[in-house]
Amino acid sequence: MRDRFIFSPWLALAPALILITILLGASLVYGVAQSLGLISVIGANTVSLDSYRNLVTGTGLAGSEFWGSLAFSLWVSIASTLISSVLALLVAVWLSEQRSGNGDTLALNWNLAFPHLVWSIALLLFLSQSGLLARWAASLGLISTPADFPVLLRDRFGIGIILHYVSKEIPFLALIILAVLRTQSTGYDLVAENLGASHWQRLRYVTLPLVMPALLSGSLLVFAFIFSSYEVPALLGVGYPRMLPVLALRFFNDPDLRSRADGMAISLIITVIVLVVAMISLKKSEQK
Amino acid sequence: MKKIIYLLVTLSLLLVACSAPAQSSTEFDINNWDSVLAAAKGQTVNWYIWGGSDSINAFVDNFYGKALKEKYGITLNRVPLADTVDAVNQVLSEKQAGKDPGAVDMIWINGENFFTLKQANLLYPDWAQKIPNAKLVNWDNPAINLDFGNPVDNLESPWSSAQFQFIYDSARMIAAKLPRSYADLKTWACANPGRFTYIAPGPGGFLGTRFVKGALYELSGGADQWQKFDQATWDNYSPQLWDYLNQLKPCLWRKGETYPKDEAELKNLFANNEVDFSMTNDITGAGTGITAGLLPQTARAFVFNQYMIGDFNYVAIPLNAPNKAAALVLANLLLDPEFQAAQILPENGFGLGYAIDVTRVTESSALSALQTASTKLGDSATPASDLAKSLVGDSAAEYQNLIEQGWAKNVLQGK
Repeated sequence: MRDRFIFSPWLALAPALILITILLGASLVYGVAQSLGLISVIGANTVSLDSYRNLVTGTGLAGSEFWGSLAFSLWVSIASTLISSVLALLVAVWLSEQRSGNGDTLALNWNLAFPHLVWSIALLLFLSQSGLLARWAASLGLISTPADFPVLLRDRFGIGIILHYVSKEIPFLALIILAVLRTQSTGYDLVAENLGASHWQRLRYVTLPLVMPALLSGSLLVFAFIFSSYEVPALLGVGYPRMLPVLALRFFNDPDLRSRADGMAISLIITVIVLVVAMISLKKSEQK
Repeated sequence: MKKIIYLLVTLSLLLVACSAPAQSSTEFDINNWDSVLAAAKGQTVNWYIWGGSDSINAFVDNFYGKALKEKYGITLNRVPLADTVDAVNQVLSEKQAGKDPGAVDMIWINGENFFTLKQANLLYPDWAQKIPNAKLVNWDNPAINLDFGNPVDNLESPWSSAQFQFIYDSARMIAAKLPRSYADLKTWACANPGRFTYIAPGPGGFLGTRFVKGALYELSGGADQWQKFDQATWDNYSPQLWDYLNQLKPCLWRKGETYPKDEAELKNLFANNEVDFSMTNDITGAGTGITAGLLPQTARAFVFNQYMIGDFNYVAIPLNAPNKAAALVLANLLLDPEFQAAQILPENGFGLGYAIDVTRVTESSALSALQTASTKLGDSATPASDLAKSLVGDSAAEYQNLIEQGWAKNVLQGK
């Protein structure tokens, strides 16, 4: 009988777990094998760490871009995460002070319903140099031709990508923070106010410590998501520098099948970084 | 534990049940065309084809789809692709999973993807010169028996031809002021900063690669020496090529900070009046773009006086194709003079040139149809004499990577 109790949650999870293990496990095995140069269709059957070595030492075509891409990926992911965390905190605190019920969360959820792909196409339609805003500005005579519109998307500094993620992740993080704030009683805040704490002091010493664990694990999730996602940098980025997932697919789809090893190696490096971040995030949320 | 085992068993049963029953393909002999036709009857041919152009999709369905059904009892299943590399990946995964027969019968393939499948030995061999209409194709022409410089080796059959051209808007510029060489182009671009750009060479940007190759031909004073690979020639001229492109760079759209990644993106920039030139490979020039509403009515095509690379495009059959006979019939139909004449007319929406050598067509009515069609290309196409005068072949395959990678390193990432 005792066995049953120990096994039952695992049994209930088994169908999902088995599927995930088979599907994810098989592709992971193939991925690792290809990154080690095992590409059976062209008869490449010797294990080698060449791809990883080339990436780390910056040799070869993929290698020459790797460190730059890694730095660019980190810049975009960290900047987007920081900006959206700070703004989400402000939005959430402001909303929780309004105490207005569910209307505001509906507004936040509305944005979440858009897939990233759709959102970035919408940004392109509005903000690119041939976009709606540029055309309106030109027809109103603010600028002489649509092409004079400032370059907000597809720029070398990833501003467009950051703009996309900030506008998508603020609602996500704000909802997380709001969930924490709304489950707390207003007592702490009132006590602090009674003791003469200013608005800023209450935010700094009462609200922030309360939401910090949730905000931190949420931010780490956001970071991991941005760091590993493909479609937004592919649509809103430039040819160089490229974020790591874009670089990985470029080499995975190279006409020369031997280049797949490079693409896979980059993918696995992304995976490892994301896993580390996810584990830290998990630890943080357990601590709370 | 037992339950887990039961579950695993059930699951594996399910997986087995899901895999499609193997389709028995009827036997045929490629040297006996009647046996191919007999085997093909009743088959469905799964043609994986780039689906980014509505007009091409309609052309394929209306012309080939109908004829296959009516004449040969074959159903055409056009599978649209965002990028041909998707079909290649499908065939590669099928190979890795040991799936034979697979799902793909025929691919409209480009030089890069042909290279990939040839490298992996995944193409149905020894057929292209054995279909009846192959006699209309000039297989001695290196532009046909080499694809991006890679020997075709009877593994793919041509469908149509194309030549690199520029597009301008006759409402914005007059023909007499157009640049007619790469040297002219640099002068023009720097006199009109920000009004020119080219497609980034690389996978998906073959028109950009072709543009850069043309510059290499002009700088080195000839196309012939590039037909065979020679490292010394490359080392000799490539620094001049990067110099030229880097001198051009500050005069480009957005000062060469970024480049359009494919033809569609450049076409948009052109149509939006952000740049003054677009590029195309269509024999109809701007015609197909105008018909599709993507280019203004006043768009026209033109070429430089020299070094405009022309080539052919092909269809290939994967080794694990389930309906090879039907694919062979379709490949043969593509070369039929009647359909060749239809494919170049701008109103039919395809807009690429002949794959067959018109002089080899003996039947007089077919010949005259082909000849009339080529006079009906209209104002938006480059005059045939200009095309012929500037036509050169593509370079040897080895240069493809050298150019694309060298460009990324020396021009895109440089300075």
